Parts: sequence; C-alpha cells; structure tokens
Amino acid sequence: MQKKILEFTNILRNSGIRVSTAEAIDAFQALDLLSIGDREIFKDALRTTMVKRGEDVPSFDELFDLYWSGFYDSLREQFGEAANRLGDFGIDLEELLHQIAEMLKNMEGEVGDLSELAKAMLTADLNQLEQLIMNAASAAEINIENFLQIGFFSRRTLEQLNLDGAGDEMRDLASALEQAGMDPEQVAALRELIDGLMEAARKVVRNFTERELQKQNHDYMEKFRRETLLEKSFYHLSEEEIRRMREVVERLAQKIKNILSIRRRRLNKGKLDLHQTLRRNMPHGGIPFELVFKQRKKDRPKLVILCDVSSSVANVSRFMLQFCYSLQEAFSKIRCFVFVSELGEVTHVMQEGDINEAIEDALEGGDVINVYTRSNFGYAFHHFWQNHLAAVDNKTTVLILGDARNNYNDPRAWCLRDVFNKAKNVVWLNPESPSAWGFGDSVMDKYRPYVDIAEEVRNLRQLAGVIDKLVL
Amino acid sequence: MFKSVDHVQEALIGQQYICDKNIATVVFLAEQLEKPVLIEGPAGVGKTELAKVVSSVTKRRMIRLQCYEGLDEAKALYEWEYSKQLLYTQILKDRFTSLMDSAQTIREAAELVGKEDSVFFSDNFLVARPLLHAITSDDAPLLLIDEVDKSDPEFEAFLLEVLSDYQVTVPEIGTIVATHKPLVFLTSNNAREMSDALKRRCIHLYIDYPTEELEARILKTKVPDAAEDLIDDLVQMMQRLRQLDLKKTPSISETLDWARALLALNATVLDEDLVNQTFNVILKYEGDVRKAQGELGKLLEKKTAEAKVEAPSQAEAPTPATVKKGALH
Ligand SMILES: Nc1ncnc2c1ncn2[C@@H]1O[C@H](COP(=O)(O)OP(=O)(O)OP(=O)(O)O)[C@@H](O)[C@H]1O
Ligand SMILES: [Mg+2]
Repeated sequence: MQKKILEFTNILRNSGIRVSTAEAIDAFQALDLLSIGDREIFKDALRTTMVKRGEDVPSFDELFDLYWSGFYDSLREQFGEAANRLGDFGIDLEELLHQIAEMLKNMEGEVGDLSELAKAMLTADLNQLEQLIMNAASAAEINIENFLQIGFFSRRTLEQLNLDGAGDEMRDLASALEQAGMDPEQVAALRELIDGLMEAARKVVRNFTERELQKQNHDYMEKFRRETLLEKSFYHLSEEEIRRMREVVERLAQKIKNILSIRRRRLNKGKLDLHQTLRRNMPHGGIPFELVFKQRKKDRPKLVILCDVSSSVANVSRFMLQFCYSLQEAFSKIRCFVFVSELGEVTHVMQEGDINEAIEDALEGGDVINVYTRSNFGYAFHHFWQNHLAAVDNKTTVLILGDARNNYNDPRAWCLRDVFNKAKNVVWLNPESPSAWGFGDSVMDKYRPYVDIAEEVRNLRQLAGVIDKLVL
Repeated sequence: MFKSVDHVQEALIGQQYICDKNIATVVFLAEQLEKPVLIEGPAGVGKTELAKVVSSVTKRRMIRLQCYEGLDEAKALYEWEYSKQLLYTQILKDRFTSLMDSAQTIREAAELVGKEDSVFFSDNFLVARPLLHAITSDDAPLLLIDEVDKSDPEFEAFLLEVLSDYQVTVPEIGTIVATHKPLVFLTSNNAREMSDALKRRCIHLYIDYPTEELEARILKTKVPDAAEDLIDDLVQMMQRLRQLDLKKTPSISETLDWARALLALNATVLDEDLVNQTFNVILKYEGDVRKAQGELGKLLEKKTAEAKVEAPSQAEAPTPATVKKGALH
C-alpha cells in the first residue's frame, strides 16, 4: 500500500501538484487511522493531506480515478460479472466456494498447492488480485507510449502474472473434484466460473494497460501545458489559456511580493530615532524600554502606465496591468492611462472591485476612450504631453506598452522626448521582436532614443523578467 | 475524541451543522493527527460555523484570533507590560536598597539582585493574547484563527513557527511549550494565497457552495417552520443565482436570512412580488438585483408553464401552495 501511495504521489508531482515528503507521510498516517474500504473517505484523506490548492482539485480527482478507483472498480465489475453468470445455473457462488474448500481439505496431497493467483481468483479476493496484477505490471516494465502498444504490454503483464498457469491449475482442480465425486452440475458451474474469471482477468489487465497510457498522457499534457504557458506567444490565446495565465501571473506576483516584504523588513531598521524613543517611553518615566528606529526612507518609484489597448496587443496589456496592480505596494503611486488614438485615464477604474473585471473594463477603454479606431501613438503621446506632463517627475518610471505600429501617422517623438527628460526612467514593452522595430509602419526606431529600456515582451517569461527588473 | 468519520458526521448534525463525509473526514483527521486545518472557501459557506460547532461537540473551549491587516505579535501573542514592571521596580526600590546594604562588594550586590530576577521577569507582566492563551491553556482548546488571509505575510511567517511545534518563545521568560495541543482551525476567503510553507503544515479543506440537496437539508434543519415547497423553490432559486455572474454571490447565510424573512411574511411559496420585495435580503448590489430579476422571470415562466401542463383544465388549476414539488426544475 505504501508503495502505491508513493507512486501516486509521484504521479501528482509529475502533473504539477506540489506534494512534499512531509505531506506524503501525513497521508500514510491518515490512512492508518481510517478504514480504507470506503473509497470516498480514502480519497478525502489523500486530498486533505496532499492537495492544498483549490485549482489542483480537478487534476487530483482525475488522477485519482485513473490510478485508484478506476482499476479497482473494473476489477470488481469484471469479477462480479463472472460470479453473476453462475446465477444462471441457479448456483450460489458462496455456496460453491464453500463446497470447494471442504473438498480440498479432504483431498490433501492429491492436487498440488494452488498458486496465489488461482487462490485469489477462486476466493474473489479483490485486494490480493489488485496487488498481484500491480506487481506483474511493474515486472513487465510497462512503458507505454501509444495505443498500438496496449496489446503488447497487456500480454507481457499476463505472462508475468502467469494467468494461463493459474487457468490450468483451476481446470485440473475441477477435474480432480469431479473424480472425487462432486455433483456434475456443480462441476459444470465451476468450469463456467473458471472461464469467466479468466476472461475477467484478461479484461482487467487490458484496462490497466490502457489506463497506464492515459496516465502517462495526462502527465505529459499537464507538464506540457504548464511549461508552454510561460513561453506561449501572447498573440493567440484561448479563453482557457487566459484564465490559466492569470493564475500564473498571480503566483509570479505573489513571489515578487514576498521578496519585497522580506527586503523591506531588513531595510526598515534605520538609525535610532531619539525623539520618538523619548516620546514612546513617557509612560515608563522616560526610561527607554522601547527603542524606536528611524524608518529608512522608502524610495519606491511612482509609476505612470501608458497602455495601448488596441486588439493587437490586448493580451500583453492584460497581463502587464495585472502585474502592476498586483504589485501596487511596490510603488508609491500608480496612474494608468489607456489609448488607441485618444488617451484616457483609467486609474479610478483600476481601484475598484475585482481586478480582473477592472482590467477587462480598462481594455474596453473604461468608458473614457473609443477603442474602435486605428492606433495613433503620436496623437496619444501629444495628448499626454498637453494634459498630464505634470504627472511625471524625477521619481517617476513611465511604463509604455505597445507595438508602435502607428498606421503611418506622425509619431510626434518630441512629446516622448519631453517625458523622457522629466522622468526617472522610460521603459517600453513591445510585443514585437526587435528585428521588426522600425519596419513597415512601426515607428519604434523614432521613439527608441527617448526610452531607457526597450524590451521585447512576447510571452509571460519575458514579461515577468521585465517586471522583476522594475520592482526589485 | 471522535471514534470514526461517521461519528463526527452525526455529532455535527446533532448540533445542526449539516455536512457531507468530506468535511467529517477532515475534522476526524485533524483531531487524530493533531494537525491544524486550513479551511478555504467563499464567504458564508460555514467555515467559522464549523469551528464553533466542533468546539461545542468536542467540549473544547474556543479561543478566537480574528486576523486583520496590521495584526502583529503584540496583539496575537502577548504584550509585555513595561509600565507595570517599572512600577514594581520603583515600589520595591527601598526594599532593594536595604537588601543590598548587606552586600560587601558590587559582585555580591549583583548576585543578590540576580536572585530576585524572577520577580521582574515573570508572567506577572505578561498580558496574554489569544495565541498564548491557546498554548498555556489547562485543557486542550480549539483555536480559531479566522480570516487568516487578511493578515500580512510577516504575520503568517510568525504563525508558522507557532503552528509547527505548538510552542512560542518569549524573550523575557523563555520558551513556552503547549501542555495540551490545541486543535487549530484557520479560515481563509482567499483574499490572498497562503504560503506553501503554511499549507504544508495544515491539512486542507475546501468548502464550496452546497449542493441543492445539502442546502435543502440545512434549511429544513435551521428553519424548521418553513414549508417544504417554499424551501424547494428557494433552494432552486439560490442554485440558479449562483450560476449568474454576480458581484457578490449569495451564500448559505443569505439563504437562511431569506428563508426567515419569507417566513416572517407568512409565505408558503415563492411568487414574483414576494421575491422582488425581499431580494435585498440576499443581494447587496443594484446591478446584481437586476441580473437576478431577469433570471427570476425565466424561472417563474417555466414554473407556470409546467404547472399548466400538469393541470390543463382551468377548474383544477392548482393554487400556488399546491404546485407540485420540484416544479421549478
Ligand atoms: N453546513 C451548515 N449547516 C448549518 N448551517 C450552516 C452550514 N453552513 C453554514 N451555515 C450557516 O451559515 C451562516 C454563515 O456561516 P459562517 O459565518 O460560518 O460562514 P463563513 O464561511 O465563516 O463566512 P465568512 O467567510 O464570511 O466568514 C451561519 O449562520 C451558519 O449557521
Ligand atoms: Mg467566517
């Protein structure tokens, strides 16, 4: 059992559910306390000890069914069927098995000892059978890659199991019983049962191999999905991928937040603040029991975001905004503008309610701009220059997101130059690769002199890299 | 100590907490393994209530630590009363002087003072807060750390120490180890994700909105005077509302409030006027009410249509109270 649980733990890990050794041990201890005959309780015990994230539960359920109940259930089903067929003979399985046991006792020595497998089959000991088949499967070294191999590995497992051997043993037993004077009708029923059991065992093994294939596919798909998500280009994302990516962004943001919070704690201890110390210790008669330290001045940057929300870059904008707003505490102030051609401020939109809704609102233009026009960076920057230049000072990082595809309009790069001169930093994230900058209607080359850091951000990994640089 | 999962389930139901086996299994394991439970789930699904009920069936005293932004050790664990300590020092000053008169050397004097250390560094000056109460308690209590997601990551790191070996270190006194390990429940609404380290130390329970069947049972238990038909209608309406994309999805607590409100209005079945009058009990936002009204319209239409099929002749048209159960399906 322990071995099986460890194996299952590995399967969970392979599909991205983080299970520590301590948690696996918790699972063992939990199972010790419970009767694992009840599959629901068994499953709950594994989940409560090993799966700690709500998002992982569906994956766990799927794997659990593949690994546990699936196999056991098919075992029970197949063997149940074999036993049921006896009913057609008007013979009760229990009764028959009892008879056999009695006769075996009297015939000691005449029939050779039955193998484990034959015994387990004849007594319908499903737990034992499950164990035997599992052992055979692992001896057969199932390493299945496609469905063409199902037959091959099933045969190999059956050989390891020596099912045919067990079949012979059981048939010999039937003949021996017949000679020893067993009721012919019962012997016929027994032969029928043996055939049924053999067939059931074959089916179960085949099922098992099929599941093995599914399992490996599942692991592979999950890993593949997770890894590719980071690398996947923002240009073509399905709804599902957007949802999953949001989670990834959330996790990355949380990681950065944790680093920030540790760092802040370290930084906080500045010099002794005499004035505050005296004040704080007034109640103690001025004896300084509690020391107060000057808070190191936090030089958190201000952030001004200029975000292109035209549909060609919507996904980059979406995740960049999510990052910035998840990391609000890293900045002393954030102002956020969106544009396609007109420019509008959406800072207030972003401060209300659910972050995802807010971002979707902002991408729609937040009721302040029309998003159904053609991109005009020059016009947008000019508007910013006229109305919001005061928002930029020497503590401000200006973060621009866009592909700089200007539809052959006037780039008005001088507006950006003035912003550049006032700001601490200008950072430009462009979803296009640098080799395309300045070609066709891209005016990235015109803006490039007024940008401190220009980065290609085509996927999540690149985006996370830039955000790291920005706040850490 | 619970004997089995079934035992837990029965005991909880005995206290009017209706739950499935999943919850019972986790509670059973928490007590047996002496592990904290992290309960996650949307607002109002009974996370806090579970802790309360478990405390009452296990006869454990409940100690509650409500988390919020800015909660720190001083509020959660203990505070050292410097002023009281100072007062003591001053009151005892004269005694000390006389005590020290007998000392020949400074070293002797220091030793004499040292002997009386315990007067100044004792739990006399320690103001215990919930965590310390939980650890020093004479009987094993139930410690509820409510809405832990509202606390800061720094505080979470500190909690981790306490939860891993049920001991705390007070610099002025030393390490205090729990004599009776408390049963710990932490609840979270997922305002932020808790760290992996914390999750590793806990066993995990996710409570979701209840199934139709479970919700009906909860209502029947908690609002026994409500008519069955009313309960069925109500539960179906709630289940549908949860499918909508609402700003605030109504939870069990809202269902209960709603049932009580309708009962107060002597309702035996849901009709449009009644629902419109009482929507504000379960929905807090204007936009949500509008969305829900659309859904309600559809639901009632369907209900009338089905009622007609069942009773085609006008004369036999059922009064609302006798509309067949489940007509809302
Ligand atoms: N399974 C249940 N059986 C009976 N009553 C329940 C059940 N679940 C919830 N309730 C009732 O619902 C109400 C809300 O529960 P509770 O306050 O525990 O929710 P919560 O999950 O802690 O919510 P929040 O996240 O807002 O703190 C309580 O009045 C409780 O009695
Ligand atoms: Mg609560």
